[in-house]
Amino acid sequence: MKFLCITCDEALKHEETRGPDAGVMSVIFACPGCGWQMAMYTNPWETQLVRSLDVKIGGRSVPAAPMEMLRSSLAQGRQGVPVPAAASDAVAEGGDAPQCPFADVVASAYNEIQEVPAAAADAAIAWTAEAEQRVAERIPSFVRAMARMGIEKYARERGYREITPQVLDEAKNIFMG
Amino acid sequence: MKTYTDIVGDGGSNVLAQVQMQAARLQERLSSIRHVVAVVSGKGGVGKSCVTVNLATACALQGLRVGVLDADINGPSVATMLGVRTYTPQLTAQGVLPAAGPLQMRVMSMDLFLPDDTTPVSWTAPTQQEAFVWRGTMEMTTLREMLTDTIWGELDCLFLDLPPGPDRFPNVAGLLPFMAGALMVTIPSQVSQLVVKRSLTLAKEALPRRIIGLVDNMQGYACPHCHTVDVLFPEASSHDTATALQVPYLGGIPFDPRLALASDRGRPFVLEHAETPAGMAFLDLATTLQHFLNVPHLGGGDTR
Repeated sequence: MKFLCITCDEALKHEETRGPDAGVMSVIFACPGCGWQMAMYTNPWETQLVRSLDVKIGGRSVPAAPMEMLRSSLAQGRQGVPVPAAASDAVAEGGDAPQCPFADVVASAYNEIQEVPAAAADAAIAWTAEAEQRVAERIPSFVRAMARMGIEKYARERGYREITPQVLDEAKNIFMG
Repeated sequence: MKTYTDIVGDGGSNVLAQVQMQAARLQERLSSIRHVVAVVSGKGGVGKSCVTVNLATACALQGLRVGVLDADINGPSVATMLGVRTYTPQLTAQGVLPAAGPLQMRVMSMDLFLPDDTTPVSWTAPTQQEAFVWRGTMEMTTLREMLTDTIWGELDCLFLDLPPGPDRFPNVAGLLPFMAGALMVTIPSQVSQLVVKRSLTLAKEALPRRIIGLVDNMQGYACPHCHTVDVLFPEASSHDTATALQVPYLGGIPFDPRLALASDRGRPFVLEHAETPAGMAFLDLATTLQHFLNVPHLGGGDTR
């Protein structure tokens, strides 16, 4: 699959891949000519189709472990056969790990990119019921997964452990200007 | 406006490069194997896996270094027939160590990754909806991983026991363009002949000039007591089928009740009954195969 910026007649370049989150993968492309960006979302079975090819969108930073796809995807495997942890995602990992889809916007607005400690990046962010409800009511379902990822990334960068309506307001002010 | 072919590369998704890398790794792993042979049937229930296991064992008895890959991901039986079902695959940095079957045959099967008799092969996924879209791809990827990541070592012949049906062989032939050949298994029944004709036509298109031939399994009943062979099925001529489709007819293997018993016990029939009509038929088939492959001890070289 290839994408073309009709205005510039230039092929779009892959910028980053996010997810899968609830089966939804977000792949961002940009035009090298005018900078126009687009995001492609895959639905869960499209994501699974990519996964079934044993490829990672954006490339691998580490080679696949022996029989990685088989061992990580088998619903019930034999005891004694190790299950690899990193193979379940269809996105690039490690040094090529994608950044927040809003990272460039935030960086240009504040001229700063904060280093996120690995441990913090991996930490689960809790959502209050009010925040969950607001996202469910105000963000269309087809972009909700990506919006949640962007908000969680924003919260991690600022050291928040929980996403509250106040955090949503902060993020909204930054993302929407 | 640029067309699809005007755009070089894949825009950075790197999918094409990864697929090419997978093919290169497969080629590298199999470079230590002289010949890869697929055993195929048009129809289920013709005893293809039994033929695979006993043909592989006959080749090993004749001095070849042999491996068997059970390519039937959803219905694996080879590990049971070769008595290695309790083996749990061992992982190393170089790959996965296969099970060691009789005569040091190297065996890999999905069965070795399943926990028990009743667990089917099922895959984790964000959704099981539209699973038909990706399930076939998962199975082919699994097969590619088993080929690529098993530490086969030096082999004269690796046998692939394919699942029944005509549809998988073209995919496997696409995965292994250097495959030495394919052996078709049928039984002497009209229904099986009908199905095998279609499979043979497909196989000839997928692997031109490399169809080793057509084997008739259960061609008669070999009495284990008096060693006579009686008619088991109303005969349908597999020889005519082979002639019509211009592939060699490789003869038949009579059914011996001890074949089923040996399969259940995980001890290939030909190991202990090589002198019986069925045992001799497997040994003859192994010799015919080696002539086709021109294996080194018969004065030939690699098919790869």
